[in-house]
Amino acid sequence: MKNLLTVLILFIASLNAVAQDILLEAESFDNPGGWVVDPQFVEQMGSPYLNAHGMGKPVKNASTAVEFKKSGTYHIWVRTMNWVPGEWEAPGRFQLKVGETVLDTVLGTRSGWGWQYAGEAKINKKQATHIELQDLTGFNGRCDAIYFSTKKDTPPSSTKKLAAWRQEITAQPNAPEEVKSYDLVVVGGGLAGCAAAIAGAEQGLKVALIHDRPVLGGNASEEIRVHTLGIYGNFERILKKIDTEHYPNGSADAKLDQEKRDKNVKSYDNIDLFLNWRAYDALSEENSVKYVDARQTFTGERKRFTAPYFVDSTGDGWIGFWAGAEFSYGRESVDTYGEHWEEHGELWSPKEADNAVMGSSVLWGSKDTDSPQSFPEVPWAMPVSKDYSEVNGEWQWEFSRNDLSQIDDAEEIRDHMLRAIYGSFSSAKKDEVNENRKLEWVSYLVGKRESRRLVGDHIFTFNNAKEGTEFPDGVVIETRAVDVHYQTVLEDENNPDFISEALFYRGPQYYIPYRSLYSKNIKNLFMAGRNFSCSHAGLGGPRVMLTTGQMGAAVGYAASLCKKYEVMPREIYTGYLQEYLDLIEEQKYEKIPTSKK
Amino acid sequence: MIRIALGFLLFVTHFCDAQFGSPVAFSDSQEKTVLETSPEFFILDWKPNTALHISETPLEIITDSVGAQKVNLFRDNTEAPILYSSNIITPVCADGDCKFMHITLYWTLLGDYAGFDRSVKEPLTKHDHDEFLFSDYWKLHDLLKDDNSILKRRAIDELVTKPKPSKIEGVDALSGATVKEVKESVVSGALYSCYVAWHLVHGKIKEQLKAYTVEQLNEEMLVRMLNSEHTNYQMYALENLDQNQYKVNFSRVSELFKSGIPLVRSFIIKNLANSFSQSPTTMQPFWDALPYIDINTRSLLLQHVDFASDATVTHISTQLSVLTRNQLLKYLEHLGSKKVISTEVLKNLEQFAASNKEKNAYLVTEFLEDNS
Repeated sequence: MKNLLTVLILFIASLNAVAQDILLEAESFDNPGGWVVDPQFVEQMGSPYLNAHGMGKPVKNASTAVEFKKSGTYHIWVRTMNWVPGEWEAPGRFQLKVGETVLDTVLGTRSGWGWQYAGEAKINKKQATHIELQDLTGFNGRCDAIYFSTKKDTPPSSTKKLAAWRQEITAQPNAPEEVKSYDLVVVGGGLAGCAAAIAGAEQGLKVALIHDRPVLGGNASEEIRVHTLGIYGNFERILKKIDTEHYPNGSADAKLDQEKRDKNVKSYDNIDLFLNWRAYDALSEENSVKYVDARQTFTGERKRFTAPYFVDSTGDGWIGFWAGAEFSYGRESVDTYGEHWEEHGELWSPKEADNAVMGSSVLWGSKDTDSPQSFPEVPWAMPVSKDYSEVNGEWQWEFSRNDLSQIDDAEEIRDHMLRAIYGSFSSAKKDEVNENRKLEWVSYLVGKRESRRLVGDHIFTFNNAKEGTEFPDGVVIETRAVDVHYQTVLEDENNPDFISEALFYRGPQYYIPYRSLYSKNIKNLFMAGRNFSCSHAGLGGPRVMLTTGQMGAAVGYAASLCKKYEVMPREIYTGYLQEYLDLIEEQKYEKIPTSKK
Repeated sequence: MIRIALGFLLFVTHFCDAQFGSPVAFSDSQEKTVLETSPEFFILDWKPNTALHISETPLEIITDSVGAQKVNLFRDNTEAPILYSSNIITPVCADGDCKFMHITLYWTLLGDYAGFDRSVKEPLTKHDHDEFLFSDYWKLHDLLKDDNSILKRRAIDELVTKPKPSKIEGVDALSGATVKEVKESVVSGALYSCYVAWHLVHGKIKEQLKAYTVEQLNEEMLVRMLNSEHTNYQMYALENLDQNQYKVNFSRVSELFKSGIPLVRSFIIKNLANSFSQSPTTMQPFWDALPYIDINTRSLLLQHVDFASDATVTHISTQLSVLTRNQLLKYLEHLGSKKVISTEVLKNLEQFAASNKEKNAYLVTEFLEDNS
């Protein structure tokens, strides 16, 4: 049964009658069945949605029950999209069942997110109405919300108007009612965020760790399955609690260490873990973050988090972005930081700056079975995959283009990769050697490499890595080669556009200074993860997860000193650097603190 | 199309050779002081009736046990430098078993791999002493063409290590990208030969060759590079021609904008960014190329749409199908900034919006709603 938080009922007075409208957010269904809650693109489309990620087999129905306050005939719209419009049937088709009736309209067939009219149904207020989503294809049909109205006025589709309409119809208050206060709020539960939370908690800080997925680890999690690279540096003890041994990318072994990671983070009494909570706003006053607002991805419940210090480990630098932190995106010109590398020239560092960045991967895998396995025809995938044929993905499965933002266009990027995967597997299945091969797993989450980079007091560059610059505050240590990716289609248009190549620069051991781990203009904001302060080429080496984990641990300890002396992150460098370095040294050998169970 | 047909013919020829081996290997090039035919495996253009004659350089390649081996320069009949070459004899050892590898390598003037000739008397062999088939030489050629091969960043012992098998779920085909990538790159049974050859070609000699060329560089050589079909030559010329030389060679530059690889195109358009506002008419060939160029370059081109002529803006309205979502939004943003949208453009927009086959039609519909 839906509660008031998830089903919002509004009586609208009109001149002649009282109409009743109900907006049902799909992610809040009582039972999502085989549909997955997809919160990755909330900033672009305003809400998480249900995604029928069945890899070609229709998923189990999602269902819920809704109590109506008024009986009558209701018009019904579904907010959905055809994610591959073209001269074929939409890949993600589904139908809606209201009560005992399956509405005739096949949904998921309109271009671009918007409302598709599903039909009308008679509703009796005396009993809760059963609602079901019936997937027809297993190929990522999507349902954001269902709107019931006794009047036939189509809700607005455009993003701007929709946000206002949602605000109006759900009558949500401007601010979350519940406010929670901490010493340190960490947003983003990848390896960097986990390490930051642990380090802070071990030093006695009361920490909130907010993460938009059900499991921790981000790209390393069992949901995305990128294997970790880099070294432990000064933080082996902490990083071993959250690392994973799986190899290569996409390996199901990622599941093995998932439980360990989640259990270790949860074992700290003073870490409040908010899983399935996604931050959606932050406010700064006088160049300090005052609070972060977050929403439960299923129920829509909202909370406000306040603290003297925040860590942005969202990857996309969302907290910094909302708070007004300086940031960069794309490739700097070769002259900006003098990052020229003769061998790869323009491919490495362009004469003029541009929006090209490393792309995102969607990993996948198949397995051989003892019996023939069928796979549906996927005509909508073939324009992307063409005759490319493969039975598994790896890191080279990556997509970027200079007209696509890895943040704003992430859904299009993910969908492009899904077309590449399904089409490629379909091509492979035409070879009889793959007759028994079954598509085992396809992630629906985008594994990103590069997006916003928040600007700190120091911008870490390729030259810092190449020269092994020994900063006085070099708290993160790495030996991994600098490794910058590009799409191979840039060199040969016959290549598939979803395959990348790596350019490796093997240099000495290098160091990332603490000054690259806090914002230049937002005084109480740390950053750890790929959104730390660096240039595009500078990101090439330290973007991997053990290095970003080191960053997390480093800022966790810095935050504890900030609290001790009631100072801002910059002052740790200017006034307490030796104590900070000593603390990092000591923690290597520290026993399990009393704060830990 | 002709290129595809020729490519197919070449493939068929090589395929036949791959199956049965070439009946007659090319003669050893060790004695060659004049090149009248192209090297057997070669990436550059070879014009008919070309004859290159050898000249010495001070450059050498040092190989194990054999010592210094000369690098020569082949010049054409005008004494223009064309190609570097070296006859290499070097030991290849695997599991304590060492053999000599004989091969003649060629480099471009910029030190990139250009090709090789095999030796009739001393064919390359695999680990089990089988001689290379023609298809094996062809695969070696493919490997040497890849200046970013995985062989570059791995020690030889890392290339033969197998990854751990998966423990759960039986996903058996994720069998270690590294080993798989290597397997696809090298001649089966000849990893060590491939490794040695790749490092000879792409070793320190590359930089030395380029430096030697740069010492002799003149405008004529740059223009020759600009007119080459070899991408690295094109790029080097584009990077080193001055503004006046760009003007003189504009016809070729605009042709490259259409025919070059995306990297070349994007370099050109970024380099000529100011020309869109300063001399819009000159840039018309660029706008004419819009439907034929890759997506990334098209995005760079559309950044200059505010400087396009009305005729071009109208023409683009007939090409909306080729634009990506964000490119279309950029174009619509430009139209939205104009005081008046012409009847012809409006008609084309309406036609596009009405199509149920265009995935981005909804964007135009919304635009027309907002701007009606």
